[in-house]
Amino acid sequence: MNTAAPLQAPLQAPLLHLERLSVRYGRIAALEEVDLEVRSGELVTLLGSNGAGKSTTLKAISQLVAPSGGAVRWRGQSLKGVATETTVRLGIGHCPEGRRVLSRQSVATNLELGAYLRRDHSGIATDLERCYGLFPRLAERRSQLAGSLSGGEQQMLAIARALMGRPTLLMLDEPSLGLAPKLVAEVMGILAELHRQGLSILLVEQNARAALAIASRGYLLEAGRVSRSGSATELLDDEGLQASYLGR
Amino acid sequence: MDHLLQLLVNGLSSGAVYALFALGYTLVFSVLGVINFAHGAVFTLGAYFTYLLIGGAVGANGLLAGLQLPFTLPFPLALLLAGVGAAAVSLLVEAAAFRPLRRRGADPLLALISSLGAGVILVNLLQLLVGAESYAIPTSALGTLPAAVSLGGAQVRTVQLLLMAIAALVVVVLTLWLERSRGGKALQAVAEDPTTARLLGINSDRMVQLAFGVSGFLAGVAGGLVGLSVSIAGPYFGIGYGLKGLGVLVLGGLGSVPGAVLGGLIVGLAEALVPADYSGFKDAVAYAFLFAVLLLRPRGLLGRPTITKV
Ligand SMILES: Nc1ncnc2c1ncn2[C@@H]1O[C@H](COP(=O)(O)OP(=O)(O)OP(=O)(O)O)[C@@H](O)[C@H]1O
Ligand SMILES: [Mg+2]
Repeated sequence: MNTAAPLQAPLQAPLLHLERLSVRYGRIAALEEVDLEVRSGELVTLLGSNGAGKSTTLKAISQLVAPSGGAVRWRGQSLKGVATETTVRLGIGHCPEGRRVLSRQSVATNLELGAYLRRDHSGIATDLERCYGLFPRLAERRSQLAGSLSGGEQQMLAIARALMGRPTLLMLDEPSLGLAPKLVAEVMGILAELHRQGLSILLVEQNARAALAIASRGYLLEAGRVSRSGSATELLDDEGLQASYLGR
Repeated sequence: MDHLLQLLVNGLSSGAVYALFALGYTLVFSVLGVINFAHGAVFTLGAYFTYLLIGGAVGANGLLAGLQLPFTLPFPLALLLAGVGAAAVSLLVEAAAFRPLRRRGADPLLALISSLGAGVILVNLLQLLVGAESYAIPTSALGTLPAAVSLGGAQVRTVQLLLMAIAALVVVVLTLWLERSRGGKALQAVAEDPTTARLLGINSDRMVQLAFGVSGFLAGVAGGLVGLSVSIAGPYFGIGYGLKGLGVLVLGGLGSVPGAVLGGLIVGLAEALVPADYSGFKDAVAYAFLFAVLLLRPRGLLGRPTITKV
């Protein structure tokens, strides 16, 4: 038993590990010493109100912004100085805030570009059909320009496009924003199903109730710091959280 | 009738040059949302490269006076290599005048000035090296090809046919590449939203370089062909074409490939149809026409309703 421990240690390192991560925009400190982990197969949610630093956290993981302190570790290795394109190659999928579909391209081309770094043509074709299966609305509109989709459809396209990259970790930035309650439930259901199939997910949400309903664990960001963290049930029972974020 | 046909041929072939020019502008513009003002200098260099590669000698006035390459290439090969050389210069312009500003997140408009500066430096350098005189690429460079063919009463010079054929080929290949290929779609993604493109794994810097490389190649080839069809009227001869190419770009619609071609052909034809007695007014007619179109269609003939800035 004991002799095997050093060999097992790297395998048990979390997929993603933020160590005292700090980010500054000029003089504004957007994140201060954030510690966060996502283990393989987990669905972790990152909660917080406007301006708390949720998007900044995802941008720092994708190396769209450079940390001013601390480290982002992927499978134990620091991502310092790694290009954003490389984080995608390493298996970090980032579905950004505000959908950001390529509005002048068709639905099909958006999905195709989601698989930009992949060369396994048959795998891409399979995943395309799988995405159309998950989001039948997209299948009906595959040759429509993405800019002409409704907001909810664009959100689905953004999620599907991120899935086409076949990420190890899927990060989503407020996928429920601007969706009708029925669609929120639908999107959360799809994320829960993807998680059940083994995908690791880091879900940024303001809709704490919806996110905690499907998450295994969660973190609460307040003014750039992690103020609470724990299992989804612990957070749902937390009185402070209930008062400010669960509307009770 | 024969006369009109002749004018049409002349108009279409100079229009083809403008189109090639404007296509290069359009490629860079669609990716970065800014005009590359060094494009005219790259075109000029392409012409000089072609001249040297077919065995032409430098005149008596520059630092390189009397220089002649130890070999003579056939014109098509010289043109191709000149295009490659021009592409290399264009990449250099990108690295010196565009990338440092982009890295610092500067307003893309600043690159107008830095690229203008790069263009001026290139042209001055050229003058220092080879002097200010004109050079001609002799039609004998075409070898056994006839200098002109007769077509329904019009005398069509071989170089005019070449220009039209190459422009047509470039348009078809470029359009297919942009619309159908993985790289072309990635380029369009960078043009629309560089951050999202990076999150899809697309290397935006590489795509910008690709746009500059292709646009430099097109400019270089156009330069060589104009050197053959007219002459190389000194280091500054690209400037007039550069300005008119800009007009063509705006006329056709910024960032539109078919627009660049349509604009080029229209300006070429408008110029050719100016009576010979008034040929001094050619440019005035072209620009007046441009102005009139823009009053009616501010986005150009085939411009997109909105242009996404980077
Ligand atoms: N590019 C930037 N320059 C300067 N300040 C920024 C920049 N981006 C974000 N900030 C600031 O950093 C803080 C955190 O922003 P962030 O976008 O991460 O918040 P968020 O939690 O995602 O908020 P929301 O829920 O509204 O999307 C905010 O105070 C914001 O104003
Ligand atoms: Mg945000």
